[in-house]
Amino acid sequence: MPFREKSAWIMSFALLVGGVFYFLPVVSGWSGAGQLISPLMPHLLAYTVCLVVIAIVGHIVIAALAPKDADAPVDEREKLIFDRAGHYSSYVLGVGALLSLGLYLLSGNGDLLFYAVFASLIASQLAEYLLQIAFYRTSI
Amino acid sequence: MGRKPPISNRVRELREQHGSMTQAQLGEAIGVTRQTVIAIEQNRYSPSLESAFRIARLFGVGLEDVFSWDD
Repeated sequence: MPFREKSAWIMSFALLVGGVFYFLPVVSGWSGAGQLISPLMPHLLAYTVCLVVIAIVGHIVIAALAPKDADAPVDEREKLIFDRAGHYSSYVLGVGALLSLGLYLLSGNGDLLFYAVFASLIASQLAEYLLQIAFYRTSI
Repeated sequence: MGRKPPISNRVRELREQHGSMTQAQLGEAIGVTRQTVIAIEQNRYSPSLESAFRIARLFGVGLEDVFSWDD
């Protein structure tokens, strides 16, 4: 498996784990008490730290296992893969942002707007990494 | 996801004719990763014109001896 495909798997995992940890209390609070908890800086910091730690540890491990692959520059096919994945994932972010704005117009809830935009950001990043993996494995 | 490129090639055959050159050696010689060489050989990726010329020159043949258009 190419080094950068492994990297995409790590980042997908990090985003999923971080996303679940971040949104689990929000969703459970909403479904339990029916009240949306306001976005808190400590939650956001915990999410960021979780993401960074998984990304750094994961990349150290895969680089140690294949140091030559890790040092190799991005080649023409990989550039194409990254460009295409980035292009399609930008639609996810765009649609997510539009839906978030619509949600805000309907609900007038700023906290909900924050969560919706943040979820769109995570979803678009996740889509980008998953598309990279898919393009690595198919014709491009 | 993506459709197969309409270009076939003899890269694997030429590589094996050249002293069983490995995919990694070919990749290093033309400046791409081993995975990209695999993708080219399996017809999952059409290389850039520059890489196509590099491959042909490396094997000492013409471009059309390596790549052909599938009608």
